[in-house]
Amino acid sequence: MLVLSRRTGQKIVIGNEIVIEVVAISNEGVRLGISAPTQTSVHRYEVFVEIMEANKAAANSLDKKEQSALQDLSAHIRSKQK
Amino acid sequence: MITINEHEYRFDESQILNFAEGLIGLPEMRRAVLIPMEDFAPFSWLASIENDRPHFVVVDPNDIFLDYQTVASDLTDRPNMRTLAIVKISSDWKKTTVNLRAPIFISPETNDGAQLVLSDGKYGFEESIPQE
Repeated sequence: MLVLSRRTGQKIVIGNEIVIEVVAISNEGVRLGISAPTQTSVHRYEVFVEIMEANKAAANSLDKKEQSALQDLSAHIRSKQK
Repeated sequence: MITINEHEYRFDESQILNFAEGLIGLPEMRRAVLIPMEDFAPFSWLASIENDRPHFVVVDPNDIFLDYQTVASDLTDRPNMRTLAIVKISSDWKKTTVNLRAPIFISPETNDGAQLVLSDGKYGFEESIPQE
């Protein structure tokens, strides 16, 4: 891992397009400003991990019980739509 | 052709969806197909056609959560984007949850898709299905 020292107002460039600026430093933490192309997603790491875990947990085949649950769920939703 | 839960599904090239970045934490999910479950509407399979073939149960969240579209429309300026949410099935259907925080958007014109994350905290990763 590359570790750099930066003061308030100083920046780091990643690749050609991503710029990270140290906006403020306090006892609470560091505030960062991030400029990146719109198609580049930026997440707090904890949120990223949470979504990753949620995606992985859902990416499975269904066992018999789960298939039966899906059938009940489908019936429940269709009965409400009527 | 792909096989899910011992069922075989056929698809043609025109149905292939492209996720340039994959899904979050699943970068291998780049090319996928959406297969409506005829017996279990309104649910569909979103299935990768790549090697290890992860697949998800998905649903249009608007079919279940009536006020959801207003939130999704804040994220995309293309009004006819299709919205899907990943469903985590539990063996007790009442414990099944829907990921409303990180919906999947698909453009019907280009078949391009992406998973985005809603920045406000209104919806969670595991929202229960309304029982009433």
